[in-house]
Amino acid sequence: MKSVKNICIKRIILYIILIGLAFFYLFPIYTLINTSLKTTQDLIWGPVVPTKQIYFGAYREALSRIHKPLVNSIVITGFATIISSLLGAMSGYVFSKFPFRGSTILFFIVIIGFYIAPQSILIPLVRFLGMIGLYNTYSGLILTHVAYGMPITTLLFRNYYESIPDDLVESAKIDGCGVGEVFTKIILPLSLPGFAVVGIFQFTNIWNEFLFGLTLTRGVATQPVTVAVANLKGTTFAAWNVQMAGAFIVVIPVMLVYIFLLKLIVKGLLLGSIKG
Amino acid sequence: MRDIYKLKRIVPVFIFILPAVSLVIIFVYIFSGWSAWASLTNWRGIGHFGEFAGLNNYIKLFTQDPIFKQCLINTIELALVFIGITIPLGLVIAILLDLGIKGKSIFRAVYLLPLSFSFVVSAAIWTWMFAPTNGAINTLLRILNLDVLTQPWITSTKQSLFCIALVYIWQFQVFATLVYYAGISGVSPNLSEAAQIDGASTFQKYWYIIVPLQKPATLTVLTILLMYTLRVFDLVWLMTGGGPGYSSEVLATYMYRVTFNQNLFAYGASIGFFMFVLSILIIIPFFSTVMRRSK
Repeated sequence: MKSVKNICIKRIILYIILIGLAFFYLFPIYTLINTSLKTTQDLIWGPVVPTKQIYFGAYREALSRIHKPLVNSIVITGFATIISSLLGAMSGYVFSKFPFRGSTILFFIVIIGFYIAPQSILIPLVRFLGMIGLYNTYSGLILTHVAYGMPITTLLFRNYYESIPDDLVESAKIDGCGVGEVFTKIILPLSLPGFAVVGIFQFTNIWNEFLFGLTLTRGVATQPVTVAVANLKGTTFAAWNVQMAGAFIVVIPVMLVYIFLLKLIVKGLLLGSIKG
Repeated sequence: MRDIYKLKRIVPVFIFILPAVSLVIIFVYIFSGWSAWASLTNWRGIGHFGEFAGLNNYIKLFTQDPIFKQCLINTIELALVFIGITIPLGLVIAILLDLGIKGKSIFRAVYLLPLSFSFVVSAAIWTWMFAPTNGAINTLLRILNLDVLTQPWITSTKQSLFCIALVYIWQFQVFATLVYYAGISGVSPNLSEAAQIDGASTFQKYWYIIVPLQKPATLTVLTILLMYTLRVFDLVWLMTGGGPGYSSEVLATYMYRVTFNQNLFAYGASIGFFMFVLSILIIIPFFSTVMRRSK
């Protein structure tokens, strides 16, 4: 009897810890949503007291300032995600299925790029994009995100293709298929889960990115939504409801992806981190 | 004849990896080299590249710049607090989730939520959380009649860096949990069953058998967390702007400030290249084990 009671108490302590942690994670998100729905007068009651009414005025105000950057982000993220996933699939496929002399070294040279702090390349990047006329353009940001996406998309696809048996590729090679044919006929049809994982990973990273957006664009015509939301702070002093509304608008797409595709995301994180 | 056949086979292979390889070589390696070269000049602002100045920038950086020294100390402190809490906490939470509780997937989903947020969003939320007069934390403390515990948070030189570490933990801790959770799930059930048959308690089972097997997971987590600490920019820039004073300035924000606010491009490049060297140092242990394993 005693040990049953003991186990019970242990369980209760365990749940208290887990729920306490959940509070630590959720309270800031509650603050975000609660504040974003408040009227300016209601703000004096602070962020903790629930909003008196559901008010979308702060969202209208935020949207009027960030609607253009929102479009910019959709275009930039869309193109950069698709291009970097495709190029990553191609290189990951070769590194996995067509190894050649020196390919392992080349593979490591590529993926080490993921670990280099972006500050190391920031100045040449700005200068280079200026030289080729892509500073402050969509194409400039897309090119940048594609380039810095290559290490991780290559790594993720290499690890994903490792799970496809070599026999499949070997028999096609014997039938006389080249690299391109094996890719389009055998690998691509099997790649949908890989594209889902890599696509979500890239979408989240590029959508959330701030430093490149801040450095490579000037003004609302090209800047991504993260930069525009950060700027809400400077223009409207202490209008916390507008800032929170803007922040929540940025979160919505990634949060939806996270809620509905959680399994794929966990898979992506682990695919990218464990096997190296 | 055979050479042509070989060429026909190898050329398409190269075409497949050409975009990835050339983009990385240009945008990572050539640009880093360019930073290294620029750091040896007196280049200021966009335009003329400046004259060769030898190691002047580095001499100034390491001997005459108290702010750089402060940034270096702050970056190390941030790493110690952030990683020192994240790794043990990640391991503990992974074990708690492994104990066969109900609602495991719900807890995991909740903990995972902030990981999807942009740093811009986290910075906005937590600036509001930490606001000293009407911010969420101090308000909550007052509601609970704990006024004595209210703090100046990000407006204090003593606390600003700690606040940033806390936000980093909020956002990234779950990454450690996920990697450890996968590592723990990967331990053969035979091992833990054998331990239980030998009469080991649950605590003993984890402490003596499962935790020691998590060394590879720890190396992975440590490498990624160090990498993210080194490049932390958004949170600091948007929450404290490196202040008050320089109390929360880190290498990444100082590099940006020197380069783009003060137009000292060459000096900024020397900080940037220093960060390249640190990036490489961080990954040496990780990649040397990975390469050993892949042989």
